[in-house]
Amino acid sequence: MTTSAFRLAILSGVLALWEIAARAGNPLLYVPPSAVLPSLVNLVALRSYPDLLEHVLLTAREIAVAYALAVAGGVGVGCALGGHRVLGRAYAPMLAALYAVPAVVWYPSLMLFFGLDAASKIAFGFLLGFFPITLAVLAGTRQVNPHLVTVARSFGASPLAVFAKVLLPGMLFTLVGGLRTGLALAVIGVIVGEVLGAKAGMGTLINHAYGLFRTADYVALVLVTLVLIVTSDVLASLVERRARRWTT
Amino acid sequence: MSEARRIRLLQVASVLAVLAVWEASARAGWVDPLFVAPPSVVARAFGAIGGAALIALGDTLAKTAVAYTLAVGLGVPAGLMIGSVRAVHDVVHPFVVALYGIPKILVLPWIVLLLGFGTAPAVAYGAIHGLFPILVLVIGGVRDVDPALITVARSYGARPWQIYWKVILPASVPSVLASLRLGIVFCLLGVLIVEMFAGVRGMGHVLNALANGFQAAQLFAATALVSAASIGFVLALDALNEKLSHWRG
Repeated sequence: MTTSAFRLAILSGVLALWEIAARAGNPLLYVPPSAVLPSLVNLVALRSYPDLLEHVLLTAREIAVAYALAVAGGVGVGCALGGHRVLGRAYAPMLAALYAVPAVVWYPSLMLFFGLDAASKIAFGFLLGFFPITLAVLAGTRQVNPHLVTVARSFGASPLAVFAKVLLPGMLFTLVGGLRTGLALAVIGVIVGEVLGAKAGMGTLINHAYGLFRTADYVALVLVTLVLIVTSDVLASLVERRARRWTT
Repeated sequence: MSEARRIRLLQVASVLAVLAVWEASARAGWVDPLFVAPPSVVARAFGAIGGAALIALGDTLAKTAVAYTLAVGLGVPAGLMIGSVRAVHDVVHPFVVALYGIPKILVLPWIVLLLGFGTAPAVAYGAIHGLFPILVLVIGGVRDVDPALITVARSYGARPWQIYWKVILPASVPSVLASLRLGIVFCLLGVLIVEMFAGVRGMGHVLNALANGFQAAQLFAATALVSAASIGFVLALDALNEKLSHWRG
C-alpha cells in the first residue's frame, strides 16, 4: 500500500516537475506532458498522420517475419550445435564471439545489400533475435540428461521423436526465456533499422516528426510504438506462462 | 589427433571455406560486386581506409570510454544501493525494469534534439544504453546474496559498513563483473547508433558514409575493424573476470 503510494508519488512528481520545467524553458524542446495529450488524440484520430495504420501494420509485419526467421534459424542452429558434440565445441565459441560485437555495425552492410525497404529491417531484426534464441537452445540441450536421449535412441526413437518427446520438454524452460528475449531484440532491430534509414514504418514517422520539430507528435508516435512493443511482449509472456504450466 | 586439435582444425577450415565460397561467388558474378565485395578486395581496402578508420575508431572508443565510465560509476553504486535497501528496492524496482525494457532508440531523436550533433549525444546515449543492463544485473546479484550470510554477520555484531564490505560486496562480485562485461558492449552499441544517426565523426559515421557511397569493400573492412576491437575488449574483460574470481576464492 505505502510502496504503491510512493511509486505513484514519484511518477506524478516527475510528470509535474517535467511540466513546470518544460513550460519555463522551451516547450518545443522539452514537450510538457499536457501538450502530448492533444497530439496523441490527433494521432489516434488519424488527423496528424492519416496513413498511421499502414505504418503500424508494416512495422508489425516486419517484426513478425524477422521473428519467425529468427526462431526457425535459432532453433535449427541451436539443435544442430547442441546435438553434435564436435560441432558444438567448434562453432559455439565462434557464435559467442560474434555475439560480443555490437550488432549495429552490421546494419550499414545490410542496408547496402538489402536496400532501404523492408528487407534490410527484417534482416537486422532476424540478426538480433537469432543469437539469444540460438544460445538459449544450446544451453537448453545441455541441460537435458544425456541418458534420457540415449535410452530413447536405443529404444528406436526417430530423431524427430527424440526432439519432440525428450529434448523439447527437457529444455522448454530455457527455450521460452530465449524466445522472449529474441522477440524483444527482433522488435528493437526492426525499429532501429527504421530510424536509421527507411521509407516507411513507425521509425520513419518518428524520424519525420523529429526532423520537422513536431516534438509533441514525436512523443505521441513514441507512445503508439510503445503500445505495439508492449503488446508483443504481453503476447510472449502469455505463451511463456502457458509453456511453464505445461512442463510442471 | 586429439579432439582439441580436431576442433581447432574444423574452425579454421570452416572460416577458410566461407571465405573461399564468398570469393568464388563474387568472382563468378553470382552476387553483384557493387554490394558484396570479395575478400581479396576487402583485404586491400584495409590499406585504403586504414589510417582514417583507425582515427575514427579511436574517436568512437574515446566516447565509449566516457560513456562507460558514467554508466559504471552511476550504475554499480546505485544497483548496490537499490539491491540492498529493501524499501528503496520495492519502490524503485518497477521503474528500473520499465526503463530497462523501453527500446532506447525511441528517445534517441529527442536526445539529439536536446544535445545537438556530435560528441555530447553520443556520450549521453551510450551511457543510458549501458546504465540499465548494469543496474538490472547488479540489483539482481545483490538480491541473490544468501540472506543467511547477512543474518549470521549481523548476529555476530557486524556493523552495516562491515556487512557491505565483508558480505554483500564480495558475494555480488560475479554479477558486478558480468554487468561490466555486458555494459561495455551496450555502451559501444549506443555510441555507434548515435554516430550513424547524427554523427559527424567516429566509426558509426564512417560506416554509414561508406554504405551510402556504395563502397562495399571499404565498408566490410571498417566493419571487421570495429568487430575485432569489440571482441578484443570482451575477451580482455573475460580474462580479468577469471583473475578476479580467484581473489574471491
